[in-house]
Amino acid sequence: MAQPQGLLYSKEHEWLKLDGDVGTVGITDYAQNSLGDIVYVELPRAGSGIKQFGSVGVVESVKAVSDLFTPIGGEVTEVNRALEGDPSLVNRDAFGEGWLYKVKIANVAEKDALLGPAEYETLVAEGAH
Amino acid sequence: MSETESLRRTALYDEHVALGGRLVPFGGFDMPVQYAGILKEHDAVRQRAGMFDLSHMAQFELHGEGVAEWADGLTVNAVGTMKPLQARYNIFCNERGGALDDVLFYRLVDRWLLVVNAGNANKMWEYINACNDRSDVRLESFHGKRALIAVQGPKAVEIVTPFCDIDVAAMKYYFCAEGKVDGEPAVIARTGYTGEDGFELFVDGVVAPRLWRRLLEAGRGAGLEPAGLGARDMLRLEAGMPLYGHELTEEISPIAGGQNWAVKMNKPAFVGKEALAAQLAADDYDRIAGIVLDGRVPARAEYAVFAGERRVGEVRSASIAPSCDNKNIATVLVPKAEAAVGTTLGVEIRGAKHDARVVPLPFYKRT
Repeated sequence: MAQPQGLLYSKEHEWLKLDGDVGTVGITDYAQNSLGDIVYVELPRAGSGIKQFGSVGVVESVKAVSDLFTPIGGEVTEVNRALEGDPSLVNRDAFGEGWLYKVKIANVAEKDALLGPAEYETLVAEGAH
Repeated sequence: MSETESLRRTALYDEHVALGGRLVPFGGFDMPVQYAGILKEHDAVRQRAGMFDLSHMAQFELHGEGVAEWADGLTVNAVGTMKPLQARYNIFCNERGGALDDVLFYRLVDRWLLVVNAGNANKMWEYINACNDRSDVRLESFHGKRALIAVQGPKAVEIVTPFCDIDVAAMKYYFCAEGKVDGEPAVIARTGYTGEDGFELFVDGVVAPRLWRRLLEAGRGAGLEPAGLGARDMLRLEAGMPLYGHELTEEISPIAGGQNWAVKMNKPAFVGKEALAAQLAADDYDRIAGIVLDGRVPARAEYAVFAGERRVGEVRSASIAPSCDNKNIATVLVPKAEAAVGTTLGVEIRGAKHDARVVPLPFYKRT
């Protein structure tokens, strides 16, 4: 399964979409599928400062609680309110409507520590064994 | 040898792999926790039907004239009063009244079937053999040899009927029969662990994969779906049924675990009776209660439970409950005062206390 182009990925299975110095963050389709039915998402508060690869929330599936690590640092500008009512959006559309939060990125160069689609695909393929 | 390599496989292992089941270690076996998804499988069972592989559970046969009397001395519920072809829930206790295992007895025509939890299989096999000094009781294990397929849900009768040479629609709940399923010898029981109507089919492991495939094929039209242990746990918790290791343990007695109905104190003697009598008389034990959380944040087993600022107990099982408006439900082990219906408790989740109310069990009852 090819990973969407135009996104960057973390080894913890989050994706980052860059638009200048604003980043949109979510978890990958591989991540949502591994977690199973998602029943609750706890996101960082808008206005809070977050550090790259730091724990910023949790994603809870029926069976497990998983930490959410941010692929990029900065200030949270917006969170996906739709997930409060319907966390299963992450299962249905992880790269789209199931986005988690937006960040005003403090240091865009941090993106160099992330993976491209091909690299992430390799990571996923290895993990699937 | 790694843990993975030492895991056993049920007769239906290849079917689970073919269906894309996600396999996890459970009770010493590699078992499917889900196929299409836990919520979808839960809904299939509540609205139509789901099919489970329960072959990891251990099946023991008990032979001989003395079985009922012998078993009555080892368990809290009545065995001797069971009618032919009746099934009954029961619990083995230790001398302290703690639960060794919760089980089902099936009284067949010429023998008894005892089904114990997979995780307790070795312990229970050793225990019942150590307890058997009678010449009129003989024990035989079919663990890993005989399979168990459960078809559960409102469509179960419709799905199972064409496969059976007996009238399953006429079978009463918690009764069983010996007959043929798809031409193969089987014990057919109207029992289950989901809160729905349904059947449990005990067949030889050799014929189980074919039966599994044929049931799935025939049941598709009625909406039958394979269901894993994740859905099973959610279904049983909604239905207020205990899971060994959670609501019943060697420290949590049948009384503390809310299974008082199954404890027959009028039986002359059984292992643990004195301890249970003392517990009942003192009435000061921590007990299982059901709670519904107010918010959307799920509780998890072992989370701390508070009454105000005072820690009073812990969560034993928890789940989102699709059959209860998607509320978050849980069982908790708390003192008597905090177990009263209507009590407000707090569940500590990542450092914050979340309000919950004690409610009567079960959370869900089929209409």
